Amino acid sequence: MMTTSPTYRLEETADIGLAQKWLSLFRVFMLVGAATLVAGALLGGDRFWSGLLLVSVFLVGLGLAGGALIAFEYLSGAGWSVAVRRVPEAMTSFLPWGGLGVLLVLVLHPSLYPWMSHEHHFAGFKAFWLNRPFFLARAVAYLVIWIGFTRLLVRNSRQQDLTGDARCRQRNVAVSAAFTVLFALTVWLASVDWLMSLEPEWFSTIYGVLFFSGLMSSGLATVVLFGLWLRRLGPWRGVINEEHLQDLGKLLLTFCTFWAYIWFSQYMLIWYANIPEETGYYIHRVRGAWGSLTIVNLLLNWAIPFFVLLPRNNKRNSRIIGQVAVVVLVGRLLDLYLMIVPANREASALPDAWVVGLTLGLIGVAGTVFWRAMKQAAVVPVRDPLLGESLHYHQ
Amino acid sequence: MSTDAQHQNLRPPWILGNKSLSDVSRDICGIFERKPTALWWIAFLVAASMLAVGSAAMIYQMATGIGTWGLNKTVGWAFDITNFVFWIGIGHAGTLISAILFLLRQKWRTSVNRAAEAMTLFAVMCAGLFPLIHMGRPWLFYWIFPYPNNRGPLWVNFRSPLVWDFFAISTYFIISAGFWYMGLLPDLATIRDRATSKLRRWLAGFFSLGWDGSYRTWVRYESLYMLLAGLATPLVVSVHTIVSWDFATSVIPGWHTTIFPPYFVCGAVFSGFAMVLTLMLIARKVVHLEDYFTHRHVGAMCKIIILTGSLVGLAYLTEFFIAAYSGNPYEQFVFINRAFGPYSWAYWIMVSCNVITPQLLWFKRIRGNLMIVFLLSLVINVGMWFERFVIIVSSLHRDYLPSSWAMYTPSLIEVLTFIGTFGLFFSAFLLFCRFLPMIAMAEVKGVLREGHHAPAPAPAAPVRAAQEVEA
Repeated sequence: MMTTSPTYRLEETADIGLAQKWLSLFRVFMLVGAATLVAGALLGGDRFWSGLLLVSVFLVGLGLAGGALIAFEYLSGAGWSVAVRRVPEAMTSFLPWGGLGVLLVLVLHPSLYPWMSHEHHFAGFKAFWLNRPFFLARAVAYLVIWIGFTRLLVRNSRQQDLTGDARCRQRNVAVSAAFTVLFALTVWLASVDWLMSLEPEWFSTIYGVLFFSGLMSSGLATVVLFGLWLRRLGPWRGVINEEHLQDLGKLLLTFCTFWAYIWFSQYMLIWYANIPEETGYYIHRVRGAWGSLTIVNLLLNWAIPFFVLLPRNNKRNSRIIGQVAVVVLVGRLLDLYLMIVPANREASALPDAWVVGLTLGLIGVAGTVFWRAMKQAAVVPVRDPLLGESLHYHQ
Repeated sequence: MSTDAQHQNLRPPWILGNKSLSDVSRDICGIFERKPTALWWIAFLVAASMLAVGSAAMIYQMATGIGTWGLNKTVGWAFDITNFVFWIGIGHAGTLISAILFLLRQKWRTSVNRAAEAMTLFAVMCAGLFPLIHMGRPWLFYWIFPYPNNRGPLWVNFRSPLVWDFFAISTYFIISAGFWYMGLLPDLATIRDRATSKLRRWLAGFFSLGWDGSYRTWVRYESLYMLLAGLATPLVVSVHTIVSWDFATSVIPGWHTTIFPPYFVCGAVFSGFAMVLTLMLIARKVVHLEDYFTHRHVGAMCKIIILTGSLVGLAYLTEFFIAAYSGNPYEQFVFINRAFGPYSWAYWIMVSCNVITPQLLWFKRIRGNLMIVFLLSLVINVGMWFERFVIIVSSLHRDYLPSSWAMYTPSLIEVLTFIGTFGLFFSAFLLFCRFLPMIAMAEVKGVLREGHHAPAPAPAAPVRAAQEVEA
């Protein structure tokens, strides 16, 4: 356990009464999620398991975005975001939880992936890549890499709180570099494995980039929400101000636009070339109820955040940027929903009770795990040499 | 070490030599206020002769027709398009540095943005020549403008990425030129104020648009600069995205792949940065910019090169992986043919220059050795040319029908044309160095006090205003 100056601890700085209310709400959500999980495991069909995959990948994505944001901060030598860093650090503790959910799906309900049944007989490389033991081993390997590296980053950062040692930062720059390289490779392959292979005949080279872009926008939206929450509860009062919100807003705007760019690139090229083995993926997703959801997806993940966040004052307004963050997170759920559920061509577009229960569980787990992780260290990296720069930062 | 001392280590100054504001004006304006050196004349004459040779080749092929090229009916696109994409890619660094790095508040950009933007403009001019010549009847180039005309129902095909290309590149050129000129305004005023000859004072005065250095002028200038940066940012991405669509919208294996847009943009930034490094490292030595373009600047550029080079490497890997994963035999054939077919030499040049070379820059000692960095930047330039050649030619030369398989070799005329564009590029760049400040003086003055310096006199009012807006 870390011991730091008492004034920087979460318990001492937060309005505990208000925090308890939130935490009880999260606990209720967690119970709903747990109940859904048990009921689904016993009674649920494909819809339940695809819902579990959805929320688990969502949670893994938030953890990965946390790791990526920390790594990018160290590598770019950014100063403005140092005061915010404890939030992405805490987000990395979502990884084991999300990873567990993914593994549950892969182990308990492999038939979600049509290639795991015997109807598919692939030859050559595809048979080698899409075979169950290797697939599971890869999933475990990705998770070990992600959890291992993010733990290392967080440990070094917390270490610096105690020692103030300049080497902690240097070490984290090196860890960040290694993590970024592995992150690029594993996130890309994991997106191919866990999501793209739900429709094993279909393929797209940009898929990993699309997954990454959504992961980053949802991660930034989560940082914004948790940051505002910590400010409301007290620990971050005087730590983050409009300047930080504006920068987070700029990044959120950027990644939402990046997502739209990648989404459009994939869609446009497949539409234009019109090759049957590729278009099947979209034909199903742009018709009927799925088509309406695809349009809503573009609104939530790009149009709304883009136009609302463009004016400077909206980025600096905590209410507006908070609402946009919620929109982006709903958008990310919908985006993953559109990636996962229509893989089963018979599935109806309407979300069912399983998804709703699991999403509540997702919120509950995220809130509770986040709070627990934040309690383990000071609310800001107190002895990071760039902290002063971040606290006094103005645009 | 105390936290303060650590902070000093993390934030050293960008500009060395503890310069004052007037030192900056003197150092930078001095470059073109002196008489050109013999070295400059030699370089200019070499570049101008290359341009002359290239012009002769261009005139010859326009008069004779593009049958003078080495194309055949299987390989209908080759050298010309390779050079086009190569130059357009180089033209990406300038606006990236001036617009995107401005929005990201990367202060080191101030030492390179002016030269990089100029380079962008010249590179885009070189690129534009190739499609123009490829039209066969370049004097009818204006037919690509969609305007009501007397040619019957002859309109451009709005669904063709080649038309989008025309729009994207001309927009990019106009905005980049406007951005560059805008950034020049305060420096032109400095030139005007320092001018000793009447002609220079009049010209610089005319083009500085009556710059008076007042607070109000600076505020307007800074807000316009930021707006232009915001507008130019999507353009940086869109140009190479659309260039990639020239290929990716087709149904040719090796060309049609969804990752092309971001992959091409990364490659463009990669090659552009390599070219900026090449030019700036030469300029640094020749006109003594050591205090302005420091090891830290080189280091920052090297890091972007590692990032973009590795992303390009990841894209190569993705293409290979998905070709294998897809189970599509045509897709797989293209990639096996790329790596092991008759053009495998080009492929391995590409991989070793673009993927392996930048990895050397992970080492601080290599980044610190400017001679090695310079050589590596040349290697990357070569590699990125080969990347386009590999994508274009190796995907075409062995199509679905083995009886029509063919090889492509460039004709002398094509090679001379390419040399001519280098002549154009370097002549223009050398002229730019002779007549305009290579470093954005006003911007560098704004970052003079960045980082931990010895105490210095307080900056003058306009600079402080600039700093405030920039910060």
